[in-house]
Amino acid sequence: MAMNRTTENIQVVDHKINYSNLVFYVIDSTNSILNIDHTMGYDAIILDATDPEYARIVLKKIRSHHNPEFYLKPVFLLNSKTTKDPVLNSLHDGLMTSYDQVADVADVAKRIFLKTTQLDNQLVPSFEGQTIKKVLNYMYTRDTRSLKPTVDLNSSIGYTFPELSVNFTAAEEPQVLEILEWADREGLIWPDFHEKIYLCNNCSSGYLSYREVCPHCNSSNSKSEDLIHHFPCAYIGPISDYQNNIDNSLTCPKCNKALRHIGIDYDKPSVVHHCNNCDQNYQDAFIKSKCMSCEQDTDIQYLIPKNVNVYKLTRKGRSAATSGFLSSSTEIEDIFGAINMQTFRIMLHYEFEKVKESTTQKTTVALLHLENIFELYNKIGKKAERKLLEELVVVIRENIKPSDVIAFESSSTLYLMLSNTGTDNADQKLKNLSALTTNLIKKNFNGFNVNLLYKLKVLDPEKKADTQLQELSKDFFA
Amino acid sequence: MYYLDEFFNYISSVGPSKIIRVFWFFFFFEFVRFFLVDFTTVLLWKMTAIFRKKRVIDGRNMLWAEEPFVSIIVPGKNEGKHIYKLANSLREQTYQNFEFIVIDDGSDDETPEICRSLKKNGLIDLYLRNEVRGGKASAANLGLRYATGKFIIHLDADCSYDRDAIENILVPFFVNEKIGAVGGDVQVRNYRDSLCATLQSLEYTDTISIGRISQSQLGIYRIISGAFGAFRKEALDSVGGWDIGPGLDGDITVKVRKLGYQIHFEPTAICQTNVPVTFKALVNQRLRWDKSLIRFRLRKHNDVFFPNQSFKFANFISFVENITYNLILNFKWYFYIVDMVLNFASKLIFIVPMNLILYTLNNYFKFIVFSMFRDRKNVRNDYYMIYMPLMVLYFGFFLRFVRTFAYLQELLFKASYEDNWNPEKSSKQAKALKL
Repeated sequence: MAMNRTTENIQVVDHKINYSNLVFYVIDSTNSILNIDHTMGYDAIILDATDPEYARIVLKKIRSHHNPEFYLKPVFLLNSKTTKDPVLNSLHDGLMTSYDQVADVADVAKRIFLKTTQLDNQLVPSFEGQTIKKVLNYMYTRDTRSLKPTVDLNSSIGYTFPELSVNFTAAEEPQVLEILEWADREGLIWPDFHEKIYLCNNCSSGYLSYREVCPHCNSSNSKSEDLIHHFPCAYIGPISDYQNNIDNSLTCPKCNKALRHIGIDYDKPSVVHHCNNCDQNYQDAFIKSKCMSCEQDTDIQYLIPKNVNVYKLTRKGRSAATSGFLSSSTEIEDIFGAINMQTFRIMLHYEFEKVKESTTQKTTVALLHLENIFELYNKIGKKAERKLLEELVVVIRENIKPSDVIAFESSSTLYLMLSNTGTDNADQKLKNLSALTTNLIKKNFNGFNVNLLYKLKVLDPEKKADTQLQELSKDFFA
Repeated sequence: MYYLDEFFNYISSVGPSKIIRVFWFFFFFEFVRFFLVDFTTVLLWKMTAIFRKKRVIDGRNMLWAEEPFVSIIVPGKNEGKHIYKLANSLREQTYQNFEFIVIDDGSDDETPEICRSLKKNGLIDLYLRNEVRGGKASAANLGLRYATGKFIIHLDADCSYDRDAIENILVPFFVNEKIGAVGGDVQVRNYRDSLCATLQSLEYTDTISIGRISQSQLGIYRIISGAFGAFRKEALDSVGGWDIGPGLDGDITVKVRKLGYQIHFEPTAICQTNVPVTFKALVNQRLRWDKSLIRFRLRKHNDVFFPNQSFKFANFISFVENITYNLILNFKWYFYIVDMVLNFASKLIFIVPMNLILYTLNNYFKFIVFSMFRDRKNVRNDYYMIYMPLMVLYFGFFLRFVRTFAYLQELLFKASYEDNWNPEKSSKQAKALKL
């Protein structure tokens, strides 16, 4: 590509650079705009990294955006300094030392842009699926084939996977591991062991202080002393028994002989700890870990062990960015009042057979999607998420017939099979359910406004049940 | 038949004076000491029991009123396999105000894992381990150093105890405050395992237990078995705990005696232990025990024989009796044999069988008489009856020869210092310092 690389041709006008049919938007600290929506429509961003903290905040905003228009946008760092920050180190597309180098990065931007057009834009109906799809999209456009963990003091587990972790706060880093495990189960990535870490069983933080504590009272306030065995008289006791206040000599308290030569007339067969808190003596101290985040003191056997792996894309993972993927997750299948998707499909099949034989029976299948529920899940954690889903089932059950069926596709998407229910009736029921659910969540979670969407489909006796279910999902998420 | 006729002719022809001349060793020494003295003292003990009864009841009441904290210490190497049983045996005790301290003297088997697990589950109160073996005395001393009880009970890991054993061994301290240490009665658990074990069981039942009742009454009881002994902690602290063995059980008893305390044998505090099942293992055990008589009575504690500031008549008598009957008479027996060979050579074919019959009858008689004094038996009396004739060989020859060999080894070569029962580092120092 013939390009004019002379300085005089590269001009920054109102934070914009036009070059080779590309428009670069320049962000530096003078923008003081952290609303990155301003970058909409530009082909690439040049981010002045003279102030690394500022650059980090901006880059994180870009890469964590939910819209591919932003998170996939090529970003080039100008005047970047050496840093340990994983966001700045890993989530840029090139480094520049002057605007002259726009010509050098333009090709990169075009290549990314071209790859972006090849992506599959279908939504995945789960938080984990959406998040991993976003990462897969990013990796596809950057020709990256593995997710590598990086040591990061800012991460609550001590490690970060920049491409994925950028979507979470430091405190939410444990969720990153869960999403990676989910993706592993889905067959999108393949783990290659890198390191083992232990997390607090209360808050999942990896910042733990390990110390020896008294097995009787758990205090770490202890004094350790060597035991001394005086061979001639068989006396054995802690070294303080042999010490005096006058000099450094050691004298046996039993026979008053001075200790002369270790191995000849005495030895130190072991160590004894004395707890200054409860006055107990012990040799086998307990090892406890104190969480530096929530201060929970835990026996080390109750810590949560996690493998930190290097994840490589599988064949399925490589094609998922351009072809999409179907989740086979079954984790939300044991909530009382709901069934798993596999059973739902079987029951739907039977219902379909009944509908085929009857000229009057109408059955409606509905898909409910709690669109922004993951913002809430991120805040409340897994236990409360589970509780919420259980409450949700109770509310739905109270408003449908006992013979109707509920199934979770994911923690944000569920299906209802409403027997003997036509479209109008079903629509009314779902409107009521939407209002009740929204109120339930709002009331219990500090006014959180959940965006509940739904779509209905009356079973058509002419089409296969599975096909109709797929169509419902496709129509909804398309 | 001819021999039997001759034998009975000989017996009937010799008058009482001749019988005493021929069997003087038996009549003047063994019968007197090991039957008459024991029988008389045990009979007196039994007859006076009624007078002691109130004091014993009062002592027991005082024990329960005070309910002192007691430290049970169990030193040993590679004893992990026995500790769980022992811990369970202790949990069954009527007296429960104790701490259970296990000292692991450099075990190289699974003992540390077993003991840590038991500690974690609350079956052991304190588990201390020396990575390097220091010997039984140092292990016991480590337990003593960290014991917090008013009384210390020393147990062996491979023993088990009657439900009231701990209670019963503590009662004497409250009956007589001058008692500084109490020995429990050790019975043989594995008496059916071999002939060797059966003979030892008979020995423990008939000689050791009864002998200790008698010694205790005479105030000359001198060895509290390491398998089951209780001490006032202040007494053990005063003597600095145990010294290097082998023979440390007798040594610590003598040290406590020297402080002026009385030593008591408590026949109702019952412990069961396993004894060696082969004669080879028994020989090793007895050589170790017997050498300690020379090392500790004749050498280390020979001050007991001399009138000095700490001279005590009871200690003197205890030592004299011990030395006389175990050391002097042991050698005098050979003198008796020489006497018989030189003076009665032609009659030996009658004298030897007569001797065996005499001792066997005496053993039966003793066993039957003493069985009246045994309240708690772990073996039925009739079980022993067929083995009784063998006791002449066991006591009169086997143990005597072992004892003789041990005495000579110790007298001539100080062989106890070479015994690998102690680690070399300790034995070397003990030998150099003539301890």
